[in-house]
Amino acid sequence: MKASIPLGMAETTAAAVDELAVRRAKTGDLEALERLYRAYEGTVYGLARRICSTPEEAEEVLQETFLEVCRSIRLFRGSAGGSLTAWIKRVAASKALIRIRYEKYRETEELEEERSWSGHLDGDVGLRMDLETALARLPETTRAVVWLHDVEGYTHEEIAELMDKTVSFSKSQLSRAHARLRTWLGEED
Amino acid sequence: MLRHCTIAELLKLRDGDGAAAARLHVEGCEPCRSELDRLYQRTAALKALPAHRAPRDRWPVVREALAGERRRVRIARYSWAGLAAAAALVGVIGVRSIPHSAADDQAAQEVATLVDESQQLEAMLHSLDREGRVVNGATAAAIAALEDRIAAVDQGISRAQAVSMPEESMADLWRERVVLMDQLVHTHVRQVAYVGY
Repeated sequence: MKASIPLGMAETTAAAVDELAVRRAKTGDLEALERLYRAYEGTVYGLARRICSTPEEAEEVLQETFLEVCRSIRLFRGSAGGSLTAWIKRVAASKALIRIRYEKYRETEELEEERSWSGHLDGDVGLRMDLETALARLPETTRAVVWLHDVEGYTHEEIAELMDKTVSFSKSQLSRAHARLRTWLGEED
Repeated sequence: MLRHCTIAELLKLRDGDGAAAARLHVEGCEPCRSELDRLYQRTAALKALPAHRAPRDRWPVVREALAGERRRVRIARYSWAGLAAAAALVGVIGVRSIPHSAADDQAAQEVATLVDESQQLEAMLHSLDREGRVVNGATAAAIAALEDRIAAVDQGISRAQAVSMPEESMADLWRERVVLMDQLVHTHVRQVAYVGY
């Protein structure tokens, strides 16, 4: 098992993919595509792992993302660097969200979640978790909104489009998530 | 504002698009100011969480899936050309010579039947719209392996035709091709059922 790395490292590595490598990747050159994979593997897996519940699901998202990237890179019209990173991250977020949307327990989970936001869940009182545990405890969709908005910097409009939901949905999920995190982190007065 | 801010209002302030009334309230309200500070701190803590790294290298699976897709494109081109060749082959079998024995006759008939089955499986495979579908790693590897074996059998059939191999040997090759094509169609059909679930 590989160890965790500071968040910014994957970004630094990703910047190492130059214009030439992107041009070669667009021709289907496997060596250039592998270089792209190596540069963005951490970024994509890190994002997927924050949205998906299990490492296995995140690995599947990693694989699906790069299959998509390799198939579609010839259609990519930006330059290497920032816009390439944004495009690959968007593909990854989309794949992760599709994955959680298709899970068969989704409807039940959301229903339970809607009921529980109005107050504390049984056992929440006096609970004090670390942020990692509290984040993992959020439902996948809610966690995805928190991560995409607060960490990745997506707007509510972008999240709504990715999730095929309304802007209000994204905003309410974020508010509810912070209310829940506040309780779980023991930050209440 | 006579009441404390809601979390939604504080989040808007944090994101720089809060209402003026809410901003004014926070400036003069210690509990709301503390809550907003906590929001900033929580956001900073989220950004500072360590990144996860993939436990396994997935590039070999991606590369194999890409190679499989490229092979599939080649096979698709080859197969439709192959259908014509197969049809011609049946014709050749029919006119090449009058079978010398009942065994030869039986093998020639079997080849004709197997060619027909193979064509039906090819058509079925084409009807499955495989290109736009994402498959998992294990399935992609299984598909790639089957396509490789089919390609190898196809080469064998071409060579066998070139050297006028006996019908019994041709029947063996076509039988193997039908079995592999059947497995390939079955694998794709299972994937369709999974994706469609």
